[in-house]
Amino acid sequence: MTSATALRDLAVIEYADVLWAGFLMTLKISAIGIVGSLIVGLIGAAIGELRIPVLRQAVRIYVEAIRNTPLLVQVFTLFFVLPTLGITLSPFVVGCIALVAWGGAYNVENFRAGLGAVAHRYLEGAWALGFSRTRTFLSITVPIGARLSLPGLTNTMISILKNSALMLGIGLAELTFTVQKLSAETFRTVELFVVLGIVYLALVLVLSSVMHLIGRRYALGAGV
Amino acid sequence: MNDFSWIGPTLKLVASGALQTIVIAVASVVIAVVLGVILGVLLCLPAGRWNNAVRWALTLYLQLFRGLPVLVTLFIVFFVSPSLGLDLASTPAAIAALSLWGSANVMEVVRGAVRSIPTAQFEAATALGFKWAAVMRLVVLPQASRRMIPPVVNLIVDLIQATTLASLIGVVEVLQRSRQAVEYYQLSAGDGHAAPIFAGVLLFFFVICYPLTVLARRMERRPSREAPRSSKRARTGRPVVEPSGA
Repeated sequence: MTSATALRDLAVIEYADVLWAGFLMTLKISAIGIVGSLIVGLIGAAIGELRIPVLRQAVRIYVEAIRNTPLLVQVFTLFFVLPTLGITLSPFVVGCIALVAWGGAYNVENFRAGLGAVAHRYLEGAWALGFSRTRTFLSITVPIGARLSLPGLTNTMISILKNSALMLGIGLAELTFTVQKLSAETFRTVELFVVLGIVYLALVLVLSSVMHLIGRRYALGAGV
Repeated sequence: MNDFSWIGPTLKLVASGALQTIVIAVASVVIAVVLGVILGVLLCLPAGRWNNAVRWALTLYLQLFRGLPVLVTLFIVFFVSPSLGLDLASTPAAIAALSLWGSANVMEVVRGAVRSIPTAQFEAATALGFKWAAVMRLVVLPQASRRMIPPVVNLIVDLIQATTLASLIGVVEVLQRSRQAVEYYQLSAGDGHAAPIFAGVLLFFFVICYPLTVLARRMERRPSREAPRSSKRARTGRPVVEPSGA
């Protein structure tokens, strides 16, 4: 047997197109989850920081509810309960909503920690210059606080990427789902799962390296 | 619609699943913490030929199981182990996977906590003639353990929540039982009662996890305000540090 046929014998090569589609789905849903959760997190933290009544309490309840219940149960709840209320969503939409809501709750905490760590002297400086509270928040607190939040945000981004695998529970054809299905059909279990593991490790490595580079450019250390 | 007769049997069914969830959670938390602390301490071994090899292997373990999604670790343990001649049932596989993931995270916490202890502490203890194991046990770990507790409690919360993933390999824990219940009512009565059943599962986890989250947050907020607890020996007046020659 030549090496070329041995290579063709690998399930990974044979089913490359299916696996590639799963990989792209994982990337897509993770990207939506990451971007969405950053927006939700920043808005949530801003509501807390600006002490907007009622909304602030609502954000606290949202954060505690999400953080203290398992993501998989949240996903199933969205997927199985919403149809009983007459809202039927595709697994993809449910997956996006779940990841954004889950990551958003963690990012509210990340941003809150960062925004809260902005030194008071900057705010006093802004007020002395006649900045309004909102102006101070937008021009001083957010730019500095967001940078201080970077390490926490990075951890949450990585978690979102990894947790996108849970969407196989509702039948979304992302990478883990595809691998599991293929392994059940082809019995190439070891090979497929080893590749799956390597792909996730590589994705996590790439994401953390990118965030490290961004951090080198933008992160602010203690004392700022 | 106002028939509530389904609630009783459902509670019974889901409660049996909840018990299984608790068994998995307790087992994996205990294994993860014990294993993680031991491996984490070994990760702090001083440089040396064999020690470097040990540290290298442990770092690989840590990076591997922290980098992989828990679900992928779970699938690898469950689906790949039979090919290696190790036929694990679903519950032991779930406990094993959660322990691998949890212990890797505990290792990271232990390493961070040990590193946060000033080097002067190591140097002073070594100068007093303590061997590495004694330095760790008597000087470093008592101080580091206080910094480990909040992140470890947070990790326990994550582990408890991750037990639900076991349902994806067929363990009949609380989530699996509730899905069975919903499916059964959907098929037999046309109404799955999905909303109250899943709300119950969410509440079940919230009631367990919220107190732990609050506890971790409280401990995080005042790490140094608590005076270091005096050891039994210090209280009885005997010297805590005995001269090495005695």
